[in-house]
Amino acid sequence: MKTISISHLARVEGAGGVTATIDGQVVTDVKFIINEGPRLFERLTIGKTPEEDLNIVPRICAICTLSHRYAALRALEKALAIKEPPKVLLLRELMHLGEMIESHSLHVYLLALPDYLGYPNAIAMASKYGFEAKVGLEMKQFGNHIMKTLSGRFVHGENPILGGFGRFPTREELVFIKNRAVQFLPFALKTVQLMCELPYPEIPESDTLFVCCHPAAGQFGFMGDEVILSNGDLVDAQEYKKVTNEFIVSHSFCKRSQYDGKPYSVGALARINNLGERLEGEAGRAFKKYFNARWKKNPLFNNAAQALEILYSFERIPQVIEEALKMPDPEPVGWGRDTGKAVGAVEAPRGILFHAYDVSAGRIAHTDIVTPTAQNAEDIERYCFIAAQTLLKKGEEAKIRDRMDLVIRAFDPCISCSAHMVQVKQAPNEDWKTRLQELASGGETAFVGLGREDRSDDAAGLELARLLRDRGSKNVRLAEDLSEETAPAVGTRPLVFLDAVDFGEKPGKICLLPLRFVLWNTSLSHRLAALTGLPLDSEQLLGAHLLGIQPASIAEGGPISAEVREAMNEILEMLGN
Amino acid sequence: MKKDKLKIGIYELTGCAGDALLILDCEDELINIFHAADIRSFLMAKSDNIDGELDVALVEGSVSTERDLQELLDIRKRSKVLVAIGLCATAGGNQAAFLDPREWEDNLKKVYGRTEMTHTKPLQSKPLNAYVKVDHYLPGCPIDREQFLSTLTRLLAGHPPELHRFPVCVECKWRENDCLLNRGILCLGPLTAAGCRAVCPSHNLPCVGCWGPAEEANYTAEYQLLMEKGFDREMILRKMSTFSGTAIADFAARIRGVKK
Repeated sequence: MKTISISHLARVEGAGGVTATIDGQVVTDVKFIINEGPRLFERLTIGKTPEEDLNIVPRICAICTLSHRYAALRALEKALAIKEPPKVLLLRELMHLGEMIESHSLHVYLLALPDYLGYPNAIAMASKYGFEAKVGLEMKQFGNHIMKTLSGRFVHGENPILGGFGRFPTREELVFIKNRAVQFLPFALKTVQLMCELPYPEIPESDTLFVCCHPAAGQFGFMGDEVILSNGDLVDAQEYKKVTNEFIVSHSFCKRSQYDGKPYSVGALARINNLGERLEGEAGRAFKKYFNARWKKNPLFNNAAQALEILYSFERIPQVIEEALKMPDPEPVGWGRDTGKAVGAVEAPRGILFHAYDVSAGRIAHTDIVTPTAQNAEDIERYCFIAAQTLLKKGEEAKIRDRMDLVIRAFDPCISCSAHMVQVKQAPNEDWKTRLQELASGGETAFVGLGREDRSDDAAGLELARLLRDRGSKNVRLAEDLSEETAPAVGTRPLVFLDAVDFGEKPGKICLLPLRFVLWNTSLSHRLAALTGLPLDSEQLLGAHLLGIQPASIAEGGPISAEVREAMNEILEMLGN
Repeated sequence: MKKDKLKIGIYELTGCAGDALLILDCEDELINIFHAADIRSFLMAKSDNIDGELDVALVEGSVSTERDLQELLDIRKRSKVLVAIGLCATAGGNQAAFLDPREWEDNLKKVYGRTEMTHTKPLQSKPLNAYVKVDHYLPGCPIDREQFLSTLTRLLAGHPPELHRFPVCVECKWRENDCLLNRGILCLGPLTAAGCRAVCPSHNLPCVGCWGPAEEANYTAEYQLLMEKGFDREMILRKMSTFSGTAIADFAARIRGVKK
């Protein structure tokens, strides 16, 4: 068994890893593993007051601490009918811009850039790229300064409270921030140039769905009451579950999300893809200059998108402060009611973040938090799979480890929100047997045969299903026999599809792999498009596997080849035991 | 003769990574630290990490999985001095609030629907000293930059760190803030370890206890005072439990039987 594994991802916030398993020419498994233990934050808030909730939830993540506080404030204020004065909204936007600058500068300059320039860390990079490292640090420090001024501390500041702030920043503090922001503009422009002109590798590239907050009034921004998807769908943030559809995988304490049965991406790249047209000023000009079709399919461009957002933030800060300075500090705002239910959505630096609360008589009765890294986890795994499979096919297996590392870091995962070492595993010949046995331990396996009768080896899946049925196996179906009536018999059993699949291997080679990997593999997925039409629920398809045999030929009218026959017999023999 | 540089490792178990981030936030000083000490391992900052013998290990986060535990045992074995940094490491942190194992397991099921995982076994969150000998404690959620730098400087010079043993209340007096308790606001300053320079009371906000209980605080007298001011036991325990981690058991035991 050959595994490529990165057990500790370096230069990300938190502890995570990824493993890829390789069987010949096929990547049969990729797992993005988050080693963070379960922290049960949603349960920790139950029975607490809304104020106490605000002490707890920012601790989910140090780097998105203010985004968590912001999302919780938006949800709780809506639930308790607290009307925020306009100055409070502006100062919250300012604090959030500070976090965006802090997080993006840290990620772009200190965590991601060393990869592209070929250094193990930013300190080593500084010997040759001293200016970049210095400016990166200064921008990050400035972001920290904004966060500290508004929230009271670098990390986990308590100053933003329901309806306002414990202490409002002084005029001098705001003017200082405004002037410094203007001074940083030339460096922000340089950052955009540097990050947008990097020669990003072409592997992996694959279309995906982008999801982010939809700011009101045609503006670019980092919060909204609606969610916008790159397919044009708009969803009310109160109905966030329509987007997130959370599910659990056994190899991580981080929940996963899929929209319409497909992984999606959130973060800077999602925001620039969905809302970049709305950028104005220098950021707008830079968007027009650099944005192209590759940004829609290559996750590495997230680093370029972050640079654009740094520029946007520096241009936006003086506008926000000028507005805020016109207003007096408002009086504390009281609660409109002590019982209510609401969702708050904001854009954390690494993507859309939802906080949902149910408050009853002044106490939290229910909490649901969906973090950006949890939403990205599925697409991170998908892009790692595509990178590994594409490089393997090109005979560049040696590059797999570093490329997966690069992909994961580009997503800027915040592993504490949910997570260094990439490992590549070479599967032994009998690997599919062991895994099939493991599957069967979850209950009697159900099989569905796929294929076409009149196309030589392509009939193998159907023929195999018939042979299994003839031998008395009960949970076997042919795809065309599946109907609303018969599908329930397949029930909740582990589901395995049988089909001839072109893996680019020797005829007769057997591979067992998660179905979602097959759906992600662009060269195979068109054949399985029909699956989504089957009367099976998406959760069952999500957990399903494919037992595939490499065909010798799928020419019209031919018989099943000797190699495939032999493979079929091997499978029958194995299942007979 | 030139002295060998001290070998230092910085590690993150389960937590928010806030303490490692705070260390990264030391920016200018960080470059000096990288010169003065041999940073063998610091996952958040670099990828060329080596896991060998260490003079000082700084560990943040609580032990919340079997994997955390194995990593901690390994770090302890190869380190001369082990420092717990941040509230999760010193007291267990927010996530250690479920003290009863059955209550913890019940909540784990409510979040994940099941308790078995293929990659590692979840454990009830506990501070480092539940499993290994801890030489020094640097509390805070997150740790304070000045306190971290002074601790590290003393360790580099071969001296034990000197931390405040008194509560936040003392720092608050130094800053000449109005006492929030006098305004009828339940502030945990008198019960909480100092080191934050009373940041919340200096923003007109009550101390929430995020450095954990203070070693030298007079729990019973303060509890009695709070009861006299009209706060009830449930409210005081609820507020204290947010950041006390496993230390809440000691607090609860010491106030048991105390009457108004």
